[in-house]
Amino acid sequence: MSPPSARRALGIGLVVWTTVALAAVAAQSGSSEGWWSPGQGTPLAGFAVYPNDRGQVGVLNASGAYDTKGHPFFEPLGSNGRACVTCHQPADAMSLSVRSVRERWAATGGRDPLFAAVDGMNCPTLPAGDPRSHSLLLERGLFRIALPWPPRRADGTTVEPEFTIEVVRDPSGCNLDPVYGLRSPNPSISVFRRPRPAANTKYTTHQGFGVGAFVTKNGMPAATDPETGRPTSMNLMADARVPTLAVQAQDAARNHLQVAGSLTPAQIARIVEFEQQVYAAQATSATAGSLVEPDGPPALGPRNLAAGDAGVLGNNTTRYVFPLGGKWAPGGATESTDARRAARESIARGHDVFMFRTFWIRDSMHLNTVGLGNPTKRTCATCHGMHMTGMDTANGWMDIGSTNLPWASEVPLNPWNQAKPQLPLFRVTCKADVRPHPFLGRVIYTQDPGRALISGLCNDVGTIVIQQFRGLAARAPYFSNGSAATLRELIDFYDRRYAIGFSEQERQDLVNFLGAL
Amino acid sequence: MTARRPQRGWLALLTATVAFAPTVAIADDQLNFVSCPLVRDTASVPCWLAEHDGELYFLTIQSDVSAPVTPPWLGHRVLVEGTVSKEARICGGIVLKPVHLSVLPERDASCSTILPAEERYNLTFEPPRPPGPSGGRLAFAPGPAAAPPVGGTPRPAVRPATREFVVSYAFDGLVAFNHSGLLSEMLTFARAINARSVDIVGYRGAVRLSNGQTMVEEASIARRRAEQVAMLLRGANLTTPEYKVQWEDRPSEADGVDDHLMRRTVITVRQ
Repeated sequence: MSPPSARRALGIGLVVWTTVALAAVAAQSGSSEGWWSPGQGTPLAGFAVYPNDRGQVGVLNASGAYDTKGHPFFEPLGSNGRACVTCHQPADAMSLSVRSVRERWAATGGRDPLFAAVDGMNCPTLPAGDPRSHSLLLERGLFRIALPWPPRRADGTTVEPEFTIEVVRDPSGCNLDPVYGLRSPNPSISVFRRPRPAANTKYTTHQGFGVGAFVTKNGMPAATDPETGRPTSMNLMADARVPTLAVQAQDAARNHLQVAGSLTPAQIARIVEFEQQVYAAQATSATAGSLVEPDGPPALGPRNLAAGDAGVLGNNTTRYVFPLGGKWAPGGATESTDARRAARESIARGHDVFMFRTFWIRDSMHLNTVGLGNPTKRTCATCHGMHMTGMDTANGWMDIGSTNLPWASEVPLNPWNQAKPQLPLFRVTCKADVRPHPFLGRVIYTQDPGRALISGLCNDVGTIVIQQFRGLAARAPYFSNGSAATLRELIDFYDRRYAIGFSEQERQDLVNFLGAL
Repeated sequence: MTARRPQRGWLALLTATVAFAPTVAIADDQLNFVSCPLVRDTASVPCWLAEHDGELYFLTIQSDVSAPVTPPWLGHRVLVEGTVSKEARICGGIVLKPVHLSVLPERDASCSTILPAEERYNLTFEPPRPPGPSGGRLAFAPGPAAAPPVGGTPRPAVRPATREFVVSYAFDGLVAFNHSGLLSEMLTFARAINARSVDIVGYRGAVRLSNGQTMVEEASIARRRAEQVAMLLRGANLTTPEYKVQWEDRPSEADGVDDHLMRRTVITVRQ
């Protein structure tokens, strides 16, 4: 595309999108396909499938069909009309795709509770009803997360941070806002993040490998369950700021549902009970066919997830991260059509790339610093090692450069490009009595300081908890800041970040593999 | 438990990290030096090397977090404290074993060398956790044990009322990834005996280099070590015992042999 045409396309992009959205509003009067509205009250089937670009995602209720009427996960609880299900949609693998966000805007003219000003708007002070006020949600599926600065512990005491933070760029206006910003009476930092799947939680909250009283990445005390006192795996949310599903539910109710006061213990128990039995994974591939055949690959589909062992570190000998068995391997697939056989072989090759294709992983905080050396010649599965989910087993925050410069995706600034940066940019300066970050030095530029906004540690700047890989096809875009619109863009980011040099075949096989999870 | 090496008199105060000191001969087979690490690719896992006085030394191979020696980092210099072994060269380097490696905190962009694989330098043994299918070989050693449930561990028949723990560090180092297991052990013991006191003493080390210079750890490191251990144990909710936190700012005397033992914090947990 030549620069003039690119400029034209980018310049009118938002206008065109708005026009299309408004036209769609005129054409539709009901809810968009697959959308689960708060208070809908219909049962959630024991096993249901929902279409997406790569086939169908399957949602399994291990305890059978679920009565959602009056259930606190599905009912609006706060002042803005949202329920948990608003941002954790079954059709989106219990997360939320940007496609659903856009469809919802089109269906309701932006009046759905999803677009509540508190976090569904770039900043609550922006004009209501204007898609530009919601551009981060509409374009990247991002919600505003306002975190206190300096950080506060669960008991309300203040963490003395190891660094100072300044706002370099504030497209949303919220970080410099007199009410919501860093210099407001309640100083806060607004970052923008994707919602994570409220499914497969036996993996995200396991008590297995790597869970201990001290974080295996840096020796700091691990967060504990306030009810039992036991250490947790610290794998919930992008920054591990909540230790358990119960605390997460309370946090979300206050901050996203705008519940006045607290959820009752009974409400929390019912939310947690639901989240502990719901599983989501791709169930059908548009090209490879069923992913849930009885004798199919043992990693695929939600039933295998429900039956899998949690808290296990996958390895390359006895327990793969995503065991596929050998039936789909090249030469092993015996499908009725060449196309289906080729698709299954591609998924199997993608698995092998994920497990065995080495590259030099370097300058990644909490990976290269935990005994592996810098660089380390390893594979995707080194970091994405948890059996069945591809998360880190414990304390899974890491800096791969998705939010820290120089690796984070930034809008190219030049005279031929009218697109503007959408995300904030912060300058973090590690204090003089603190060791500089081992790979980024004393001054770090970041779109989202990640875990450091909770821990206050310089070495945590830009570290983000690794996400699970399940149901990916149903919930684009990817990374905590939605910076990869597609699985292909996700893979291209890694290729750029680590100079991997994936071949075109490897990229396509990886896309097919990830899309089948 | 106390340090293997007995305490000796203290050196005169040193004001610089590297200071000249009277030449003291160290054992011929002991090598202590600071250098950029080098990483050499092989057909399996990379190996880590360092040059000193025109000679190439083998430090370790890439392994996993449970390995006794973990690789250094490009982008940083490394302090090598090793003993020249009689083993055959590995990856072209004279083998240092045992060897203690300290990644120095300051960044050094000149440390950036990755050497390509050469067939003559391929490993002659099977490394743990090679990339790719590995024929059923165990890929990793068990990690640190998960902390038991509160009030959990079974009591042995006889449990000592006092136990001493020693946290050892890299040069200028504080608690890192490899300390979580020992910290958990301390915590478990303290809870099991309902500890009434935790005495913590932090120390500051020094290293006699093979070129005759002495490297001294940063001035506040002993205090930082002691305070950090106390902070970590309290942070893990061990708040009942009385804490006595002390440190020794004077650096240890360096003899070039086992100086790494002096970079430590000693924790005594009492009933």
